[in-house]
Amino acid sequence: MTGLNGPGILGGKSDHRTMIVREMDSNRGGGGGDSALTVRGLRKVFQRPAVDGLDLTIRRAEFYALLGPNGAGKTTTLRMVGGLMKPDAGSVAIFGIDALAQPNAAKQITAWVSDEPMIYDKLTPLEYLAFVAGLWGVDPKLAETNARDLLRWLELAPNAEERCEGFSKGMRQKVALAGALVHDPKLIILDEPLTGLDARAARLVKDVLLEKVRQGCTVIMTTHILEVAERMAERIGVISRGRLIAEGTLDELRHQVDSKGAGTKAGDTSLEDVFLTLVADEEPAR
Amino acid sequence: MSNTATHPRSLVWLARQESRLSWRDLIWLMTAGYRWRGRSVVIWLVFVAVVMHFIAWGMVARYADIGLSAGIESLTAITGSIGLAFFLMLSQALQQVTRLFYGRGDLDLLKSSPVSLRRVLGLRVLSVATSTCAMTVFVAGPFINVLTFAGGPRWLCGYGVAIAAGLGASGIALVLTSALFDLMGARRTRLAAQIVAAVIGSAFIIAIQVVAIISIGTMSQSAFFHSESVIAHVPDLNSAFWLPARAILGDPIPLFGVLLIGTAMFAVPVLLLAGRLGDYAMAAASADLALGHSTRAGFTTLFLGRFRKRTSAQLLRRKEWVLLLRDPWLASQSLMQLLYLIPPAIFLWRSYGETQGALIVLAPVLTMAAGQLGGGLAWLAVSGEDAPDLIASAPITERRMILAKVQSVLLAILLVFAPFLIAMAPRSLEIAGIVAVGIAVAATSSTLIQVWFRSQAKRRYFRRRQTSSRIATFAEAFSSVAWAGSAAIAAAGSWVAIGPTVIALMVLAGAWIIRPK
Repeated sequence: MTGLNGPGILGGKSDHRTMIVREMDSNRGGGGGDSALTVRGLRKVFQRPAVDGLDLTIRRAEFYALLGPNGAGKTTTLRMVGGLMKPDAGSVAIFGIDALAQPNAAKQITAWVSDEPMIYDKLTPLEYLAFVAGLWGVDPKLAETNARDLLRWLELAPNAEERCEGFSKGMRQKVALAGALVHDPKLIILDEPLTGLDARAARLVKDVLLEKVRQGCTVIMTTHILEVAERMAERIGVISRGRLIAEGTLDELRHQVDSKGAGTKAGDTSLEDVFLTLVADEEPAR
Repeated sequence: MSNTATHPRSLVWLARQESRLSWRDLIWLMTAGYRWRGRSVVIWLVFVAVVMHFIAWGMVARYADIGLSAGIESLTAITGSIGLAFFLMLSQALQQVTRLFYGRGDLDLLKSSPVSLRRVLGLRVLSVATSTCAMTVFVAGPFINVLTFAGGPRWLCGYGVAIAAGLGASGIALVLTSALFDLMGARRTRLAAQIVAAVIGSAFIIAIQVVAIISIGTMSQSAFFHSESVIAHVPDLNSAFWLPARAILGDPIPLFGVLLIGTAMFAVPVLLLAGRLGDYAMAAASADLALGHSTRAGFTTLFLGRFRKRTSAQLLRRKEWVLLLRDPWLASQSLMQLLYLIPPAIFLWRSYGETQGALIVLAPVLTMAAGQLGGGLAWLAVSGEDAPDLIASAPITERRMILAKVQSVLLAILLVFAPFLIAMAPRSLEIAGIVAVGIAVAATSSTLIQVWFRSQAKRRYFRRRQTSSRIATFAEAFSSVAWAGSAAIAAAGSWVAIGPTVIALMVLAGAWIIRPK
């Protein structure tokens, strides 16, 4: 991938980001430890508990995949981490910042991308990015450089001046992703970002995310495409009925399954087998 | 019914499917999808029906004695009322027919199936006619019932006229939509039809008010229909022009004629255009897919600006304005109230230099319009946010975000109503001040109600916004009416204005107490 080597948002740390990091470090005395995200006892109840005392720790510059069956509580968890929903109990710390006590400070270094790209149909991608950058208070000159770089890398430059109405799902998702990256976040939260994307667009998005992780950004992503988690994530968490039931690298998860006597040879087991075995143990008998 | 008639893909089978979908759509419109609201809706409908009958009694019971030998004045007034209703029906039918072609829903499924698209769309046009007739009967029903109760069963013929008018309006709507497709192409037809529908819906009532102001110096439609200048220009008593009025009065032959004409106005276009309905639907789908690729940012880019240092509040305000300016359909829908400001503007212009009395008439009209416009714009800005997750994940407090959106609404209101206040001020600073306060409080009240009852929705559901909270809809309407009354009485110089002011404040307090927590 050649497009990701240019200067700007994907080529190195920006002034804006350096400033935020410095400010954060001074705020917490360089604290926050090694973790980018620390979740403790997170709980949210609708008719039934959607998230039930979840504990989660994600390291800095880590690509973390959160897997689980439908209705397991993945999206609810991420929405609470992103500040889009208030938990009933528990704590969320993003780079040492208490996200519940100081939501705006936490949001300043966080980006959220959902499976359904929510963008403004009547704005052009460039206008959308200007708006998002403005909300995050990015310096206008830096924001414009970042926006143009992102649109070029995401192959949206020819459409930069066209309104988003009529864009395909893939194009919309790329605009949303550009919006998430234009303010150079330290933590990127993605909820099924590859849903509905064609192979080329999906590849582009994956490359951009991996490049961000290489630059020190932390990514937490939910996906139903297990192959994506298997290839991209350093660690994988499996959530079922609102609780984390397994966590680790793919090998660690394989061992965990093997130790339960699933009857497969370590190394041969795909993530799909591992996932289905883990989840099957948690599912109520049908 | 034979098996052949009801087997899948038959006309009857399709009609049953269509009627089931229409029924469920109607139920959803009334209950917003909440099953528990069913009983409340029934109680509410009964309540509305009773109130409507009381209102109708006050308005038309005294005319129940008008017989078949009615004079030209009565026939003019009845025909004028039919004309008003007909244009509103035509507006509604035009919007519904347009939605037939552009509403994606199940149309892609039907297009991909071996069912005749011509048959399906023909049935849907019939469904439009049915719903138009049903709506007319619902609105006109109380008036017809009151007249029947007070003047005898001959007035029941009014139902026949309502049905004929519904059929005729649907037929004309189909012809208009077809003409728009042929003249403007599928890409522009949707917007053009929506604007034409909005203009038709208000044009007749506005035109009558404008002519009334210019010819007899009043905004009253009733006075206009009874005025000598109108009577002098209408056809004589033997003209076929009076057929609908005579049909309403219970003359069977005109009723038969009206029903025949209404049926023909519907059936002939359907039969002639049925073969092209499928083509229109296909063209509409293609236009939908092509949309956007050639839509440039436009002049509003200058307004929005790019990559400039702005506060989040400035950004949010400008974003709201640009989104509205770039969406002609939403703008036409939300700014519909502005069309109703044309008569007061003309009235102001006509009565320029006369006594202050003329200005008093404008106080309630402007206050009411500000309340309604404020409510619509506030819904778009607060509930109709297209990217709620983006805003929620941004590092700004909800309070600041809401405040910026409220400011965007109130500044837009100020921009719209300022010319009226500027025109009024030289003649009476006092009345202009009262109207300014009326506009400000009515718009702020409606905006606050929309903020308290905000519920996330897509902007395209603007026309159905009342389904998300009927309490908010009625609170907004009652507060606007109360503030309008207050402004009118205050402009007349009476302390009685305190009464409607207290009512408006009570409506606001009530809405605040029962707002969703």
